[in-house]
Amino acid sequence: MASIEAPARIRSSSAVKRVFERYPFLPALIILVVLIALNGWFQPRSLSLVGVTGLVKTYLALMLLAVAQTYVIYSGDIDLSAGAIVSLVNVVIIGVMAQWGGDGVTVIAALCIGLATGLACGIVNGIVVAALRLQAIVATFATSIFFTGLALYIQPVAGTPAPAAFWRTYGGRILEIPFVFYVAVLFAILLVVLVRTRLSLRLLAVGDGQQEAFQSGLPVTRIRMGGYALCGVFAALAAFCITGDTASGDPLVGGKMTLFSIAAVVLGGSALSGGYGTVVGSVIGALIIGFINSLVFFVGTPSEWQNLVQGVAILLALMAGVLVGRGARA
Amino acid sequence: MSRLQLKGVGKSYGATKALRHADLDIEAGEVHVLMGSNGSGKSTLSKIVAGSVRPDMGEILLDGKPVSITGPQAARALGVAIFYQELSLAAHRTVAENICLADLPSRGVFVDRKALEDRATRYAALFDGVTGDDFSPDAVVQDLRADQRQLVEIMKTLASEASVLIFDEATSALDRAQVERFFEILRDLKAEGRSIIFISHRMDEIFAIGDRATVIRDGEIVGSRQIGETTPAEIISMMVGAQEEKAAAADATPARPAGAPVLSVRGLTGPGFSDVGFEVRAGEILGFGGLHGQGQSAVLRALFGANPPTSGGVELGGKPLHPKNPRETIRQGVAYVSGDRSRDGVVSGRPILENVMPIHYLRERMMLANPSALAVKALPALQALRTKFAGLGHPISSLSGGNQQKVVIARWLIDRPAVLLLDDPTKGIDLSAKADLFSLIRKLAQEGIGIVLYASEDAELLDNADRILVFNGGAIRRELTGAARTRFNLYQAAYEAA
Repeated sequence: MASIEAPARIRSSSAVKRVFERYPFLPALIILVVLIALNGWFQPRSLSLVGVTGLVKTYLALMLLAVAQTYVIYSGDIDLSAGAIVSLVNVVIIGVMAQWGGDGVTVIAALCIGLATGLACGIVNGIVVAALRLQAIVATFATSIFFTGLALYIQPVAGTPAPAAFWRTYGGRILEIPFVFYVAVLFAILLVVLVRTRLSLRLLAVGDGQQEAFQSGLPVTRIRMGGYALCGVFAALAAFCITGDTASGDPLVGGKMTLFSIAAVVLGGSALSGGYGTVVGSVIGALIIGFINSLVFFVGTPSEWQNLVQGVAILLALMAGVLVGRGARA
Repeated sequence: MSRLQLKGVGKSYGATKALRHADLDIEAGEVHVLMGSNGSGKSTLSKIVAGSVRPDMGEILLDGKPVSITGPQAARALGVAIFYQELSLAAHRTVAENICLADLPSRGVFVDRKALEDRATRYAALFDGVTGDDFSPDAVVQDLRADQRQLVEIMKTLASEASVLIFDEATSALDRAQVERFFEILRDLKAEGRSIIFISHRMDEIFAIGDRATVIRDGEIVGSRQIGETTPAEIISMMVGAQEEKAAAADATPARPAGAPVLSVRGLTGPGFSDVGFEVRAGEILGFGGLHGQGQSAVLRALFGANPPTSGGVELGGKPLHPKNPRETIRQGVAYVSGDRSRDGVVSGRPILENVMPIHYLRERMMLANPSALAVKALPALQALRTKFAGLGHPISSLSGGNQQKVVIARWLIDRPAVLLLDDPTKGIDLSAKADLFSLIRKLAQEGIGIVLYASEDAELLDNADRILVFNGGAIRRELTGAARTRFNLYQAAYEAA
């Protein structure tokens, strides 16, 4: 009996397995749906337009930073300076806007300078890790201190306000639709475009095995530097969003985001060892963190317990993701 | 005119000369076979031509012009591509992506998916009908079987469209139909005027596809022969060289009275080997011979329970043994020493004493350790091997490779095992330590332990083993006993397919 039924069962389970292998972020997506449902259950208003707008506004920066981190993790590297780059770009654009006045042209000029700053930071990381071959985890920890130092030099204390033109746009609406949704759509298009690039594929190939990639004739050093450069650019974009959200300059604003970005990547189903993962998963991972934080608030956790509950909830999400993934692939 | 010429190319790794002053000519439109035993320098030579190893000296000429091959990328640009014996595939990428990885079809910064699929399909189609189930251009490489992965590496090499193609043991996992198809493709490439360097350990394949054969021995090129004008026996003689025949080995190992069987294995099958059967008697040293990776290590690891076998019967001292995990087999008296000390042997960063004791802990089911009492047990075991060390509390990393391996072996001497499995135990250790190890191994055999020795150096086998089982393709092909234990017979059995 059992031997007759077995083949059919194997076929259907291998189909499930294939779907989960193809979309490694599926476990994360399931967790996200559960969290959204829980949020709606405890606080129906959290799923209203205003509630969702607020959440996107707050967590867009983390989503972008998680994507930044993903490109580095693709190739088996890591960037512990991603948050410091956010801080540096934040104070740089605030400084430039304050210096040149807050009209539209200066805002755009400041953003260009911010992008260049992020790119430069990424290239520095790339040189240190890929060209000089220092250990990624320690080398980017060192550059994170360096970038933070630069940020503190530019703006020693938090508080310089962003010009109204900037944060009013970010928090405002165009044609009755909140501005952040346009940003989110542009962000999604950008990701779809980037998935199709040679760099994405080559980063993943390098992450699968540097020796093999080198022997296949890939320019491994240049590819890894490309990953760090892309990470720097996305960190700069994350800095724009955080500046729009907080409307001020803070030389330490991004510091604690670094590890959240790594957590988001792992929650999204990517392998820290490289070679396997998706940017979509990282975005979902960032949203999971966002919804956990808002859920912890909505269920009425006393403020002194919030961190503890958040930590436990993230651990549970991680475990659930691993279990769902393992169950589906087994 | 020669397509590829090597003039005086040499490469050393530390004190070992992997390749010395190699001269080689490869013509356009020929399949040139490289022959040589384990570690003779075939792969080093191939990797130098393919750019993944930089030579210390010598000159390489392509079409008569001296070239400098600075890396795999440069080699590709010059029209040299290689099939890597250990494969160079990205496990999580698809077959199509792997085939085209080195030279992705692109539109600007984007991958041209359509062109990529087309190109991959074209090369995959070359093997239509022999790739087996579940093989398609969009299959992920890690889901494929070993032979399918090897086919992907072949397709990837072919997709380079290089004029010099190197195949370093490209057929080791392929079945007969796949090899036939591969040879048809090689003949077509030959007709197009491409040059092919072909390395294989199957003599019948070499005579089926080769035009010329060059023999390498100990990093030196011995000579070349037209395949049509030579015989397998001549090639094997060239590989063996004018070295003293080791039939005399029988004298070096005094005949021991054959004791009762301690280990008998029937129909053992698992990953990398099938239907292996043999018997080891008390006091006997049974040798496993043949080329690297023909199942010798896999059988030993299976018996130890490290990679459990899928079927077959094992008896240890007359009682059935089910090698499910090392913990069980150790408790029943199986000992295993691997040549890969860092992976399987040494507990790095810990003192010597702690490196000697773990087996004793396990066999005695000890919960608490008393260092001074244990030292009394550890010292005789270490002294039996003439291990040089400053103190039991010093970290294992303070010792040389040979002395580290002695510590690893010493841990099996405190509680006598019934059978000792040696998996290439002298890898990377110096000559005097080797001599110490083998004299100890012989002494243990005299004391009645059954010993199975796999050694990748043939001289070690010929000098120490009472009987030699020659492996090829995961099965025992031949048994050499008494005066038949010669280097010539060993090579012949190893290279000739059954």
